[in-house]
Amino acid sequence: MAALTATVRDTAAPGVFRRPAVRKLGVLLLLAALVVPFVAGRWGSGAWPGALTVDLSGPLGTASDWIVDNRDSHPLFLYFLGHVSNAVVIAVRAVYLALLAVGWAGVTAVASLTAWRVAGIRQALGTAAAFLACGLLGMWVPTMQTLALMVVAVAASVVAGALLGLAAGLSDRMHRALRPVLDTMQVLPAFAYLLPVVLVFGIGVPAAVLATVVYAAPPMARLTALGLRGADKEVLEAVESLGTTARQRLLTARIPLARKELLLGLNQTIMMALSMAVIASVIGAGGLGDRVYQALASVDVGAALAAGIPIVLLAVVLDRVTGAAGARLGDAPAPNSRALWAYALLGAVVVAAAGRLAGRLEWPESWVVGIAEPVNRAVDWMTAHLYSGVPVVGGTADWAGRFTTWVLDPLRDGLQWLPWWSVLLVVAALAWLIGTWRTALTAVLAMAAIGVLGVWGPSLDTLSQVLAAVAVTLVTGFAAGIAAARSDRVERLLRPVLDVFQTMPQFVYLIPVVALFGVGRAPAVAAAVVYALPAVVRITAQGLRQVDPAALESARSLGATGAQQLRQVQLPLARPALLLAVNQGVVLVLAVVIIGGLVGGGALGYDVVFGLAQGDLATGLVAGAAIVCLGLMLDRVTQPTGRRATKGA
Amino acid sequence: MSAPTAAVAAADSAAASGAEAPPVFSVDGLWKVFGPRADRVPADPALASLDAAELRARTGCTAAVRDVSFDVRKGEVFVVMGLSGSGKSTLVRCLTRLIEPTAGRIVIDGEDVRAMDKARLRELRRHRAAMVFQHFGLLPHRTVLDNVAYGLEIQGMGRAARREKAAEVVAKVGLAGMEHRRPAQLSGGQRQRVGLARALAVDPEVLLFDEPFSALDPLIRRDMQDEVARLHREEGRTMVFITHDLQEALRLGDRIALMRDGRVVQLGTPEEIVGAPADDYVRAFVQDVPREQVLTVRTAMRPASPAERTATGPTVAPGTTVSEAIETVAAAGAPARVLDEGECVGVVDAETLLHVVAGHPTPSDAADRSVAEPGTGGPVDGAAGRPADSGGGAGASTTADGSAVAGSAKAGTSASADEAGEAPAGPAASEESV
Repeated sequence: MAALTATVRDTAAPGVFRRPAVRKLGVLLLLAALVVPFVAGRWGSGAWPGALTVDLSGPLGTASDWIVDNRDSHPLFLYFLGHVSNAVVIAVRAVYLALLAVGWAGVTAVASLTAWRVAGIRQALGTAAAFLACGLLGMWVPTMQTLALMVVAVAASVVAGALLGLAAGLSDRMHRALRPVLDTMQVLPAFAYLLPVVLVFGIGVPAAVLATVVYAAPPMARLTALGLRGADKEVLEAVESLGTTARQRLLTARIPLARKELLLGLNQTIMMALSMAVIASVIGAGGLGDRVYQALASVDVGAALAAGIPIVLLAVVLDRVTGAAGARLGDAPAPNSRALWAYALLGAVVVAAAGRLAGRLEWPESWVVGIAEPVNRAVDWMTAHLYSGVPVVGGTADWAGRFTTWVLDPLRDGLQWLPWWSVLLVVAALAWLIGTWRTALTAVLAMAAIGVLGVWGPSLDTLSQVLAAVAVTLVTGFAAGIAAARSDRVERLLRPVLDVFQTMPQFVYLIPVVALFGVGRAPAVAAAVVYALPAVVRITAQGLRQVDPAALESARSLGATGAQQLRQVQLPLARPALLLAVNQGVVLVLAVVIIGGLVGGGALGYDVVFGLAQGDLATGLVAGAAIVCLGLMLDRVTQPTGRRATKGA
Repeated sequence: MSAPTAAVAAADSAAASGAEAPPVFSVDGLWKVFGPRADRVPADPALASLDAAELRARTGCTAAVRDVSFDVRKGEVFVVMGLSGSGKSTLVRCLTRLIEPTAGRIVIDGEDVRAMDKARLRELRRHRAAMVFQHFGLLPHRTVLDNVAYGLEIQGMGRAARREKAAEVVAKVGLAGMEHRRPAQLSGGQRQRVGLARALAVDPEVLLFDEPFSALDPLIRRDMQDEVARLHREEGRTMVFITHDLQEALRLGDRIALMRDGRVVQLGTPEEIVGAPADDYVRAFVQDVPREQVLTVRTAMRPASPAERTATGPTVAPGTTVSEAIETVAAAGAPARVLDEGECVGVVDAETLLHVVAGHPTPSDAADRSVAEPGTGGPVDGAAGRPADSGGGAGASTTADGSAVAGSAKAGTSASADEAGEAPAGPAASEESV
């Protein structure tokens, strides 16, 4: 009956209104026409009205003070959080001391021989070269500090993630409860995780490790659940038909069948952990990230690069070795694999013992190649010659300045000039057009929460940087993606570049942009663009390449030109991929724009850094909450109904 | 007038097969309904009689298996055939409760499967019924040997013992030398041999096959069918075989249950299915089957005149297929006598055989029945599990034969309810053709 009346109304409606987009906008317009005059009259039409904000700095300050005062006396800290904190410190310390005790030669041998066994001889050579390079750059000790923190954080993330994933994989209810949480966690910028852990644990290694675990565990949980749920139904049925108990099924079938996903989860967790372990230097992680952080603070690009290169090498090695191990999973093991493992172990022990006996545990001072000096000279030369006044093209600093004055400033001022309710309306319209009324509601509430928190201005500043960076990313990314999809040569050229860029931690991108553009908002945007570009290019190219060849062939057979094929067949059919690229671009850009607070990006990122540096946790926490809301809003506004596959980096 | 003889024949066959072949599986009134509050559907006759679309509209439920009853006798190959969506895969999964049935009774060797607790059910799956799957269901991370040994492993058998046993079975299915390969390194046919070996390794009473060869190339499929036929010949294991391929069903099946929309529309020997389709659906299904390769001379023969009974010339056995008889008759250029244990039960000549090939009704009428009838009881004994079809003559005798065919030990009871459709349809079909 209801269906009948609906059809009647549908046919009665004029043509345009049958399009859902038009109908949604119509409803929204009607709503706006009813509500806006009222709210505009009541609260004005400028920035977010002060009457609608809630000042949280008081209560948050009190809470933070309470925690600081009670950290040594309250039972919650004494009997639980204190133990957690101590355990983390002890574990990291133990791993660090063990790494030092094995010595540089021993660590290099263990790492490369392990890489040899799980991923083959090429990865082993790469691993050895990477570790030696870390030593040569004079970064052996910071590398070991970072590695120690990583080992503990990854172990904890894997255990926590696998347990959560196991629960979500075996229980539908857990799955339904966990999935939105994990999905949301994956779109939040790393910076948002820092403040809450600092609030509880204070600045130091425990906070850094726990922030890393919280950041790195979700991919493990997601992929574990995915693997357990995606297991071949018929295999499970076959196993059940042979009379297995539930436990036997889990141990002999479900978990082994999910090995690929588990290893992919391990890979992603390691990469996310490295990324976070470096960022967590701002809350006391130490190691390589701290060197970069300190160097950037004094705009010492040479020192930052000396610490940044080991980070990149570590990232590439960890990614390639775990990736290659995953790719080799299906193969039958070599017949003498046990003997080879024994040789590898023996070799590692011999090298470590030799290093110990020779008294050469520490990397020899004389072998260090100082690159900071020459790099800084090069940067000085660049500052002198490339920053400004280059004939015709202008200097990099000129570009940055112009970009700031002509793009970022007008965009920010324009956003801040907009009446607050119109921002909410735009958010609602975008989110509703692309999703359901639920996503629209989430997005609007998130945006409104930002206003309520009283950080409307800085948030719109951040938003303006995000929009500018996303625009640049999408234009260049789509262009490069289309080029890569249409030409094999371009793709071959791009692939290794994209591979490396996609594995690098966010933090590292700040180094070259500071060298090129100095500090300010423009470099933050540039770093964001460079960080988000590889994912956008890759998703675009893949999406275009996966377009049904039959559709393309039929278009060709009808005599379509290359441009026609692209415009009329490839782009429309690749629409889901393009939407995904937009979503990923936005999420990744936001993450780096926030970190840009470290290099003068200002806005929310700066509030977080300021809060941490000044011990003003209330400011930092409010900014962190605003980042969460902004991330949520941007994700919902760009999120087509289907979920994204995996995070680009 | 044929009723007494038919009853005798039925009793006879029941006694015969009862002695040699008690039912391994006995399924009675089985239902599987998917959907909300599924159990009300079989319980309510009004709902139970609805067709699929109405049922879905009324209750939101889908009945995959509807009121199915049959017995699987020891040592036979029982084929369940139907197109996709006919419920056959669900049916076979219900047998070991991989899918929990909604209503009905399943009895294995006198034990009620639906009443089993978890441990007992595991015991059933571990030792008594093993299944072979369409897409093999192998564990990709294990070698061939460890896949085959898997069933033994979960029973708790020691490593050395289970590997030894597995190696034997691997050799038996023709995979010797490939013990240490992974499933990914095998061809489709080889993988299914592993699946078969895994099922055989636990030495089950019954082998259940769920469309095992549908995913294979036609030539490989034929090889595998031969393999199954060979195993059955050598070991005489009871098999329940699900397929959507009529050729496969006719090649392998001692008896075939033809399913449509969850119901069994006909149950009988391949010859009965082809020779006397129960309804238009079955007839359409079997119309392309080369009848001369399935039907036997028992169906094709006409009664012998007294002169012919004593004549000399070529002879054939009642179980000979029509195509073989054609060769004999063509070679001799004369009608052939059908001899059953030395007694002439009929005659086939070029005309009767051509009728079969052409798809005409077989030449029997009521007057001739009295001559043909006495032979019916004999072949049942002789052809173990392939009781004769009387060629679709008088209604009463066909019905009785039908029950004898399907019901075995409990001929004529409600166990044959699923053939209710067949029994009346059989004579109707033949009468319309007479």
